[in-house]
Amino acid sequence: MPETIDQYQEGKRDVTFRVFRFNPQVDSKPYFDDYTISAERGITVLRSLNYIKEHVDASLSFRAFCQAGICGSCGMRVNGISKLACTSQVWDELDKCREPGIIKVEPLRSLPMIKDLIVDMDPLVDKMKHYSNWIETTMPLAEIGKKEFLVSEKEFHRYDKATDCILCASCVSECSILRANKEYVSPAVLLKSYRMNVDSRDGIHDVRLSELVKDHGVWDCTHCYRCQESCVKSIPIMEAIHAIREDAIECRGPKDTSGAKHAEAFMEDIEKKGKLVEATLPIRTNGMVWTLRNLLPMAMKMIVKRRTPPPPPLVKSAKGIKVFRAMFREMTEHVKQDHLKSHKK
Amino acid sequence: MKPFDIVIVGGGGAGLYAAMEAMKTNPSLNIAVLSKVYPNRSHTSAAQGGANAALGNTAKDDTIEMHIFDTIKGSDYLADQDAVDVLCSEAPKIIRELENIGTPWSRLEDNTIAQRPFGGAGRPRCCYCADKTGHTILQTLYEQCLRKGVIFFNEYFALKLSVNGSRSRGLLAMNMKTGKVEAFPAKTVIFATGGYAKMYWNRSSNAAGNTGDGQAIAYRAGIPMKDMEFVQFHPTGLRKSGLLVTEGARGEGGFLINKDGERFMARYAKEKMELGPRDLVSRSIETEILEGRGFDSPAGKYIHLDLTHLGADLIKARLPQIREMSLNFEGVDPIEEPIPVRPTAHYSMGGIDTDNFGRTIMEGVYAAGECACVSVHGANRLGGNSLLDILVFGRIAGRTAAEEAGKFEPGTISEAELKDSVDDLRSRMQPSGHYERYGALREELGQTLALNVGIFREASLVKKGINDISELQDRFKKVRVFDSSDVFNTNLMQVLELQNMLDLAETVAAGALAREESRGSHTRIDFPVRDDEKWHKHTLATRINGKISAGEKPVTMGRYELQERTY
Repeated sequence: MPETIDQYQEGKRDVTFRVFRFNPQVDSKPYFDDYTISAERGITVLRSLNYIKEHVDASLSFRAFCQAGICGSCGMRVNGISKLACTSQVWDELDKCREPGIIKVEPLRSLPMIKDLIVDMDPLVDKMKHYSNWIETTMPLAEIGKKEFLVSEKEFHRYDKATDCILCASCVSECSILRANKEYVSPAVLLKSYRMNVDSRDGIHDVRLSELVKDHGVWDCTHCYRCQESCVKSIPIMEAIHAIREDAIECRGPKDTSGAKHAEAFMEDIEKKGKLVEATLPIRTNGMVWTLRNLLPMAMKMIVKRRTPPPPPLVKSAKGIKVFRAMFREMTEHVKQDHLKSHKK
Repeated sequence: MKPFDIVIVGGGGAGLYAAMEAMKTNPSLNIAVLSKVYPNRSHTSAAQGGANAALGNTAKDDTIEMHIFDTIKGSDYLADQDAVDVLCSEAPKIIRELENIGTPWSRLEDNTIAQRPFGGAGRPRCCYCADKTGHTILQTLYEQCLRKGVIFFNEYFALKLSVNGSRSRGLLAMNMKTGKVEAFPAKTVIFATGGYAKMYWNRSSNAAGNTGDGQAIAYRAGIPMKDMEFVQFHPTGLRKSGLLVTEGARGEGGFLINKDGERFMARYAKEKMELGPRDLVSRSIETEILEGRGFDSPAGKYIHLDLTHLGADLIKARLPQIREMSLNFEGVDPIEEPIPVRPTAHYSMGGIDTDNFGRTIMEGVYAAGECACVSVHGANRLGGNSLLDILVFGRIAGRTAAEEAGKFEPGTISEAELKDSVDDLRSRMQPSGHYERYGALREELGQTLALNVGIFREASLVKKGINDISELQDRFKKVRVFDSSDVFNTNLMQVLELQNMLDLAETVAAGALAREESRGSHTRIDFPVRDDEKWHKHTLATRINGKISAGEKPVTMGRYELQERTY
């Protein structure tokens, strides 16, 4: 587009920031304010907000500290995506606007609002405490400070990426489960829990794990991958979540919780038929009593609407099931071998 | 509010270590940590390179003694030798302690903590975790404080000490969430609020909040500031933002190149080259630029930090943050092109005058970390010694306060004093007539400091700086706070931060004018050599009846005699 190139050469573009405003002292509900400024190439969203605060509207409130992408203060939603304002380039954002030339700036979701772009981080800190997001050292008290644990570079790499987390809460804001259930552990806390659980210096792996497998814990994740996609440090958060689940099944067995049973039932169906036997899935996950008590009304409705899944004997194996089973076994064998190699402590 | 035994102001490395140690020393104490940000946001997180400790992992022949000597020499002999002794002797213990409680570290082949070379150090003794060492240390300390149930008052902005004669009764602070001023009566107060180098504003690598709040509060309460003229310029700040490229980049083998393609450090430090001490490298870069051998751009003059010869693998493995920052803030990928850099105000060697136990001259008031001046860094801090300083002296201050809290009566803060504080804030929100914008004043302060009290100083320049600061202080009285809200009034907070920077700026400039010699980070063009006879001493700045008053303090010597400092 030639006009874009011309604008680039000029080095300045008019940009409108449409910013979420809410002051609980005076506003009954939130609204948006538009601020139009001229932004040169290379300017970040945070620097633009600073400019607006200094020159246009001093009451505009947001957090910012290091301004270099390491402290995690300025997490907010820019054009609908949770990220750090300090590492987001205005000109990049201009390509993502729903309305041309208008960058929408909103607070993070799933955390209580305080004012404008500022949300309350306390719920996240409370969850870090609840899930023991710390190392409880196995070094005897009298020995502390006297010698190092010997830790391989390989072990370090197991949690290296996870310790990049700056608790900016972008993943918290993007998580689809949290939006439905505020009590859900949240991706950042799962990541931190994983980081602690694979650290050989830690002595409360089992305690942490027993908390993680409870309600609102690791089994509630639906693999939407939003956390990982939005992570400002490109941390593979879903890998950590999967690792906690695998660890849970390995340490606590496949019949431990409904989450584990659900995963096991999935595996069983896929191996046998290459697809799910949905009719019995709730029973195998949560048992007959729970299913009758909780799902019977819905089952009746489904019958009326003729939406019931076929009964198990009628679920035919998928096409090419034999080849698929061979592949499936090979994969599970691989996973087992990898486990033996890397996850055994 | 129930009186506290210890109120710690600041939740960075020093504050959190103090809290942990105080709880360990006496678990029955009532301890609070106040922080204007969530503690995990503190500027400790920005320290990339690492922490020095003579563990002898990488170089088997390293010793504490060598670490002591390097630190004293690096300080241009202005550090107190007994304090340096404490710093370096405690170093291996504290790094192992951190390792024991969960800090991740990069590892050597023998599975011990990895160490790398750093500027001014005779052996590779800088312990690191990739290029995120401060971040991982801060996370560990915060995690451990949560584990131990430390009471946090997050997003509280400290306003003033409540003083009764020669001792403190506690602290007044504003709760950002409500805008209310709250009293924290306390037997002891520990300041751990970090440095003041952000007063150089756009020519500083510091976080926006490194505005010297603790020092300013102590200064206004009559506690002396020590060696304030010593501000370290880090050689390699990004050209546009002043943000920092860690010394680790040079430790890993990066070159500094001028526009003629020369590795110009050969002219200034033949042996150490790019790994010379920070003050020397900063002056060298500035000289290259002043003598016309820098590159020019609309965003200012600069030189190149070239990492391209290190290869993509090494850069990705050991300097990932640097790469990310170069891409985000300069649009440059260091794997393919050199990074544009120039010196940036980075660290404040000066601070609240304390003894080796963190005590100030005011009973019940302590300070630790960059906020304090013990002094272990003297006229110039070595890379890798700042993380170490906050850990070692944070712990000592925490222990001392815990041991001494019992000596003091619980303080009470009167309703009248609380009301005065509230009225003071209110009055700022309603000035009449002509007004000033805090944003403009903040930028002007940074400019005058960088120009007149920067890397190269001279009597006439510094005097101009002093005049400018005094004018800015006058204009500050007319600054208006436009945000009238009680809830999270960041406008008010930034105005108060500006006041803190303005108050401290006068001590930096006064010290720079008084010290008629060149030592460490302080370079006077009109007095180009170190003058041990006249100036081998600390400067003190105390506010008495609203006016700055100069004092001095001898340097504690020890095993090492004064020598010329060459690299």
